[in-house]
Amino acid sequence: MLERLPLPAQFDRIIIAGGTAVALVLAPIVLVLLGLLIGDQISTPEMVFWLAFTVIVAGALGTVLLPNIVHAALSLIATLLGVAGIYLLLASEFIALVQILVYGGGVVILIIFGLMMTNAQDDPIVTDGSQKPFAFIVALILGSVFVAAAIDAEWGAETAAVIPFRDFGARLFRDFLVPVIIVGVLLDIALSGGIVNARAPREPEAESEAAS
Amino acid sequence: MIPLENFLILSGILFATGFYGVLARRSAILILMSVELMLAAVSINFVAFATYLDGEAFSGMIFALFVITVAAAEVGLALGIVLRLFRERRTSYVDAADSLKW
Repeated sequence: MLERLPLPAQFDRIIIAGGTAVALVLAPIVLVLLGLLIGDQISTPEMVFWLAFTVIVAGALGTVLLPNIVHAALSLIATLLGVAGIYLLLASEFIALVQILVYGGGVVILIIFGLMMTNAQDDPIVTDGSQKPFAFIVALILGSVFVAAAIDAEWGAETAAVIPFRDFGARLFRDFLVPVIIVGVLLDIALSGGIVNARAPREPEAESEAAS
Repeated sequence: MIPLENFLILSGILFATGFYGVLARRSAILILMSVELMLAAVSINFVAFATYLDGEAFSGMIFALFVITVAAAEVGLALGIVLRLFRERRTSYVDAADSLKW
């Protein structure tokens, strides 16, 4: 019984995983309660924005920090759904629907299949990490530059009206017809390339049979 | 009304987080997931600029649509490559793929 207990070396990963999971669940709840409390000062779109903001940032941190790969994949789903919420807020429902369909329904499932098929081990957070401090510094500088540039610039922006699907489709299939066709060909090539790449290698005798 | 800056700040934070993941993670699939974060950040920027600055033309949204499509193709291909790597080396860590390293 005693040896089933977590070893000291695993304590920190349990704390990180548990902390991120608690943060992912609690942050939206706390934010909603906060929004109810100060509901007079803050408008509904702003509340939705900050909710999506929290979900996206917490999910992104979980994706890059969680040692358990499956937990990281689940955080990725949370992030991508939050991004779909941002698209809704930006008056582009079609992109939001495509985001949920393609990412929530396709890409993440594919990634989880990849995890299962490669028998991926957890990312060892105790043993590796010579690169992590440098990665952290570079990412911090990059993020600061982005945020500073966004705050500094003068945009002079006003919100546009909601775009009807009809106009969107017309523009997509009239003005952007050639890119649509090219993307279709690209998907075709990626499909066949993925199959050829991931196929099990042929046995030598099958090879010679096919040759003869 | 939410200012445009908020969306840009969000996308900047998301991009930097994904960048950290690409640099710090060792497992190829986790790197792939971090790349997805960066692509999502870029798409947010496209859609935000299209909504706030592009008015009637909304080219940014169509661009975001293309980004999503290309990302799907990229994941399919990359997972094929990861499967191939796993079959050759019995691991999905990127530092196992060092045949071209001198």
